[in-house]
Amino acid sequence: MDREGHDVVIVDRDPNAFSRASTRGVLTRDFRGEQVVGNGTDVDVLRRAGIEHADGFVAVTEGDNRNIFASQIAKHVFKVPHVVTRIYDPERAEAYEKLGLHTICPTIEGAKHIETSLMERA
Amino acid sequence: MYVIVVGGGTVGYYMSRDLVERGHEVTLIERDARRADWLETQLGSIVMRGDGCEVRFLASTGIERADAIIAVTADDEDNLVALQMAKRHFRVKKTIARVNNPYNVDIFKMLGVDEAVSATDVLLGALEPPLTS
Repeated sequence: MDREGHDVVIVDRDPNAFSRASTRGVLTRDFRGEQVVGNGTDVDVLRRAGIEHADGFVAVTEGDNRNIFASQIAKHVFKVPHVVTRIYDPERAEAYEKLGLHTICPTIEGAKHIETSLMERA
Repeated sequence: MYVIVVGGGTVGYYMSRDLVERGHEVTLIERDARRADWLETQLGSIVMRGDGCEVRFLASTGIERADAIIAVTADDEDNLVALQMAKRHFRVKKTIARVNNPYNVDIFKMLGVDEAVSATDVLLGALEPPLTS
């Protein structure tokens, strides 16, 4: 997204996450976005990341509940127009989709993908 | 009253013990197996091991007939999700949360939790009179 010209801010509670991402080549040197260290479910940290002017918000930590909470703060407290939440647990994803969160469930999506590619080869 | 307590840490343990002593029916939910075993040696069969955020597990606790659910884990997001499931999915009348970050008191109420209690706020409140005088 940064390469496509969007302004991107990454929030991670682990200060080492950013250098790890650089070492692995995930975050390359041309990344112009900002990096904020802190808990993404803390309104103060989110404000520091500039959430008040954000057009979009994506919650993709390894914790379903953390993603759910952060996304609801973005959507309901800061009124961010586009919010996407990753939820691994299919039941929880379905429940929160019903509650109005735009959810992506990699478990279900992955299973569908695998099934499609299996059928194509059969 | 039938009360479900989510989280068997120190707060959840003493709260459950107290509720039982006062004559209430209690189910205490604890995710960690070893902790759940220990809680059972202290409190007996009211302890259930499982994830209080999972709809299917919550259904097995008889949550439809619960009068209240109190979430007291050390993680605010886990408390929120457990209570939202209880409220929206099972229509539990009273949902009460322990919040660890005091900023979350108002946010939890915005997100549909009936009562949110911050230990930090309570302790600061106890300190406040001498500070303002």
